Amino acid sequence: MNLATLTMVVLAAALWTYARWRGDGSHWRGFLRGLSTLRNTLPLLVLAFIVVGYATVLVPESGLPERMGPASGGKGLLLALGIGTLIPGGPYVALPLISTLNELGIGLGATLALINGWAGLSLLHVAWEIRYLGWRFTAVRWTLMMFSLLLIGYLAQVIFERSL
Amino acid sequence: MRDRTTLVMIGVVLLLAGLAWSRGGWELAGSGLRTGLWTLVRMSPLLVAAFLIAGLIQIFLTQENVSRWLGAESGWRGILLACASGSLVPGGPFIYYPIAATLFHAGASLGVVVAFVSAKNLWPLVRLPLEFALLGPRLTLIRLAATLFIPPLLGFLTQGLLARHGETIRERLKP
Repeated sequence: MNLATLTMVVLAAALWTYARWRGDGSHWRGFLRGLSTLRNTLPLLVLAFIVVGYATVLVPESGLPERMGPASGGKGLLLALGIGTLIPGGPYVALPLISTLNELGIGLGATLALINGWAGLSLLHVAWEIRYLGWRFTAVRWTLMMFSLLLIGYLAQVIFERSL
Repeated sequence: MRDRTTLVMIGVVLLLAGLAWSRGGWELAGSGLRTGLWTLVRMSPLLVAAFLIAGLIQIFLTQENVSRWLGAESGWRGILLACASGSLVPGGPFIYYPIAATLFHAGASLGVVVAFVSAKNLWPLVRLPLEFALLGPRLTLIRLAATLFIPPLLGFLTQGLLARHGETIRERLKP
């Protein structure tokens, strides 16, 4: 068992013990909620990991790692942020894929731009945002968010990648 | 929604399998499939723990609690509270955008609502165990550290530069 798994198991056990200590049955409700989410998500998880498998064998020859690599600069960041906004689905789909792209050689700046683009600027969420908060609000938030995320990617490139 | 995503994913898998087959025959197509399934098997203990943690956190936090914490706070205190609430509120866009709209209609400033939505997108507590499991501790910690200042910064920037537009945006939103 590696450190990440051990940390997660310890955290799960601590939360479960706290829930049990509350004495309101929340330990079972939480357990069942987690189990039910896992069961409902399992088909999607299997498909997402198959996509990860194909990404592992196909991406290296596609040139994508070079285009978003540590030396890709602003172009690589914009490409990564753009792809991030287009990645469909929840964390089960997006995160394994991004993790694989990172392992295949895309830079840290581009990896952060991909995750943050998916999380903060998802095109799938725009319809909800415009519907409830209007296009003016969406325009303000998107503009500020986009510049901040590009800045984070750029700083990651400067701090972590040019010093390597 | 989930079924549509599953259908899209089946389409993507078939497309990638076809692409792999055209590049390297059955060997490459089979290799992609095996690599993916083996990665899933290897990560399954981590995923089970992550889903358990997410389930327990969702039981501790309810939308009502989070909305109540935010209340009608404004100014820098409101923005910081909005960041904390955004991080804690559970659920997808069909849950947190209506909450954000309710806060906005109830009088929360533009900066507070921008901070709330940005924190929900960038720091969701419920997603954290999955990020930890699927991205690994190093990437998760770097991402969290790098984005830690973004939701409050966006809230303060909006408040400082665009506060006067808040009322207009609120008025135009009214049915």
